[in-house]
Amino acid sequence: MTKYNKCWISKIQVNHPAVLRRAEQIQARRTVKKEWQAAWLLKAVTFIDLTTLSGDDTSSNIQRLCYKAKYPIREDLLKALNMYDKGITTAAVCVYPARVCDAVKALKAAGCNIPVASVATGFPAGQTHLKTRLEEIRLAVEDGATEIDVVINRSLVLTGQWEALYDEIRQFRKACGEAHLKTILATGELGSLTNVYKASMIAMMAGSDFIKTSTGKETVNATFPVAIVMLRAIRDFFWKTGNKIGFKPAGGIRSAKDSLAWLSLVKEELGDEWLKPELFRIGASTLLSDIERQIYHHVTGRYAAYHDLPMS
Amino acid sequence: MRTGVIGLILPPTFSFLEMMWRICPALAVGCTVVALVPPASPTPLLLAQLSGELGPFPGILNVISGPASLVPVLASQPGIQKVAFCGALEEGRALRRTLAGECAELGLALGTESLLLLTDTADVDSAVEGVVDAAWSDRGPGGLRLLIQESVWDEAMRRLQERMGRLRSGRGLDGAVDMGARGAAACDLVQRFVREAQSQGAQVFQAGDVPSEHPFYPPTLVSNLPPASPCAWAEVPWPVVVASPFRTAKEALALANGTPRGGSASVWSERLGQALELGYGLQVGTVWINAHGLRDPSVPTGGCKESGCSWHGGPDGLYEYLRPSGTPVRLSCLSKNLNYDTFGLAVPSALPAGPEIGPSPAPPYGLFVGGRFQAPGARSSRPIQDSSGNLHGYVAEGGAKDIRGAVEAAHQAFPGWAGQSPGARAALLWALAAALERRKSTLASRLERQGVELKAAEAEVELSARRLRAWGARAQAQGHTLQVAGLRGPVLRLREPLGVLAVVCPDEWPLLAFVSLLAPALAYGNTVVMVPSAACPLLALEVCQDMATLFPAGLANVVTGDRDHLTRCLALHQDVQAMWYFGSAQGSQFVEWASAGNLKPVWVNRGCLRAWDHEAEGAGPELGLRSARTKALWLPMGD
Repeated sequence: MTKYNKCWISKIQVNHPAVLRRAEQIQARRTVKKEWQAAWLLKAVTFIDLTTLSGDDTSSNIQRLCYKAKYPIREDLLKALNMYDKGITTAAVCVYPARVCDAVKALKAAGCNIPVASVATGFPAGQTHLKTRLEEIRLAVEDGATEIDVVINRSLVLTGQWEALYDEIRQFRKACGEAHLKTILATGELGSLTNVYKASMIAMMAGSDFIKTSTGKETVNATFPVAIVMLRAIRDFFWKTGNKIGFKPAGGIRSAKDSLAWLSLVKEELGDEWLKPELFRIGASTLLSDIERQIYHHVTGRYAAYHDLPMS
Repeated sequence: MRTGVIGLILPPTFSFLEMMWRICPALAVGCTVVALVPPASPTPLLLAQLSGELGPFPGILNVISGPASLVPVLASQPGIQKVAFCGALEEGRALRRTLAGECAELGLALGTESLLLLTDTADVDSAVEGVVDAAWSDRGPGGLRLLIQESVWDEAMRRLQERMGRLRSGRGLDGAVDMGARGAAACDLVQRFVREAQSQGAQVFQAGDVPSEHPFYPPTLVSNLPPASPCAWAEVPWPVVVASPFRTAKEALALANGTPRGGSASVWSERLGQALELGYGLQVGTVWINAHGLRDPSVPTGGCKESGCSWHGGPDGLYEYLRPSGTPVRLSCLSKNLNYDTFGLAVPSALPAGPEIGPSPAPPYGLFVGGRFQAPGARSSRPIQDSSGNLHGYVAEGGAKDIRGAVEAAHQAFPGWAGQSPGARAALLWALAAALERRKSTLASRLERQGVELKAAEAEVELSARRLRAWGARAQAQGHTLQVAGLRGPVLRLREPLGVLAVVCPDEWPLLAFVSLLAPALAYGNTVVMVPSAACPLLALEVCQDMATLFPAGLANVVTGDRDHLTRCLALHQDVQAMWYFGSAQGSQFVEWASAGNLKPVWVNRGCLRAWDHEAEGAGPELGLRSARTKALWLPMGD
């Protein structure tokens, strides 16, 4: 966390067509094959925040989700890759605040210490009073969530009230206490890449541990151009202050191939130090099953049927 | 109509696209191609084999794989109508000299360096990606000169060095590398360049994941190279980027235009006005705004100054392989014993005319330079005789000093004239046309004395005035946009003036030819230095009397004197941007040979007469095409 520093965002310009070109290049030029691909896929599994954010979540599907988080890949596949006892689990489990208790209970029963992340502050739109938003954070932390995913107030970005945005996120940070704060920028609603950069900088200045691209509920979620801009902001913040802030894309990442592209993006823009669960997460739900299918294919040479792999 | 047989010469390292962009338009308009390729590349041979399988037309593409020593042999073959050369500067120059006087035309595309201008209102990270596209990838043909505004120098350098660390080099067919190798010769060249730069005090930074075997060379960033050092003057080889700072946009333009190369450049700025101003001001063939290296077959790509003036892509690319219909095929006028060192060097002394008969002639005309009549440096004049052998008048004997003065005056007038709106230029040309018509009787009587019948003389004067008006009207035409597949945003094809144009008028049609050459040159924004008809320069000088009152000073300059001597001075002048010569065959050969000095585009007639009164030859589109140069301006859009 640093003080609000206006000049870090005042002269920023982002050129959209050039960023689009860079995004296309990265997808085309850094592909991984064979056993390296299997290794990268396993690494990608360890970055997943296994998520369920639906209106019809109940304790039964939360329990199933938590179990899947502890055993993301089928036992015999991991044994074939010689990775059975290496502690391959997902990075966290992400649920609505009302379901945090269920998640904590299910993980304890499974004997696993993966953190429970809760979304908060009027997820996904964020259009509720500040008082209730802060109270949501406190209640989620009380229930046992050790990571909180907050959404920023987009109206402050669109009206250019950067200092007010900084103050709000500062308050979220205080309400979290010891919990780990991820700030969701909802980039699909911010209007331009320049706004994305500025919002990222403000979020980092105000003390976020992670910046996250989107809620997963917007029309446009995590895309490569937006990610490039956010990663550049993280790198610039690191150069200015020496603090490493994490990055989480969420929403729209469904295939294993996409996840590999995301890994190479982070590796290209920020380097290998950011490829750890403390600094990189992927918010996904169906991604895990696609990765499992790719690993099944790698191990057995055959394509799995729907019922071959356990549901999450 | 199409030109005929094209001889194509490709450089030691060329990309597949470059080769296709030169061969395909030639074949499309109906020419046949003989290509000379370096022995290390089998791709053109494969292409020729494929084209040979087209049953009815077996010989349209022929490929010879051979060393560079075959280049002059191919170029001087009698059946070749045009040689398209793509390669290094010195070889291009040498080829220009050997081909002087041969029947083949020459099109040069030289040099591989490009320029990137980074202002402080740019998206620096994206500009760094532009540098990677330009110099540290397989997409760019050569090295890069990078001009960075001083206020963002540190930021830009830091980001560049960080980005270089992430580049990967390796064999080209490995899908995960950014750049490959370009052969041992290219590697030696760049090693020499970097060693020299270091010895001249520059800082060299290299990074990236590069194999250490011989032909691979790491991406290199050179900074603090003193501008006056020889390295800063030479072309930057691949994969080197030479970075220099600048303070203001004006300084940036001066630095950017201050090299003899004029290929392609990109401007990075988020302020539209500033970006367009820099884009219009750069003297290059292609300008990209906030992008680098974009190419498309419908957009003309070429250069100016010492990058050669041949084009590929777009309408200009097709004009390379076409010539105006109705013109005869060019003949060789090669004179093996033309001594380039002595041609036109000394002025033969003119004996004084016999005793003057008839009314006392007017005092001798001066030279029309800088908007007024001046005495020549040599302080002598030559007599002009009319068709019956009597003395018609005296004109000044211009020399090298006068040419120098005329070119200087033309350069001083150029910025103002080029900056005029097309409407203003049209108005001046129309005013001159009106003045010509007022002077009709004087001009017609002078023409009569030269042996032209009165009716024909009056018709000539009227036609001259009409031509001035027609070119004035055509000055309104501006560049037009092209639709490019794959780019969101317009690409403008601008037509810009060449600069100072030197014109040596033919002996025949002393008034009409003079006006027919003057009008298009001025209409497109050039300033001119003209050498009027040697047989009767008086008509041109009469027109000058009107130009003295109507035109800004220095816009059109007329120098009379010995034609060969003046041709020599103009052809060897490094600051004349283009030259048109309508004189003898020997003179044409000399002009082509001498143009190798600054590689100015030349148009010669090889001693053939031209029918100036016919529309096609006297006022056809060829004149308009040759009076201006093209620039492609790319404007990708999106926010």
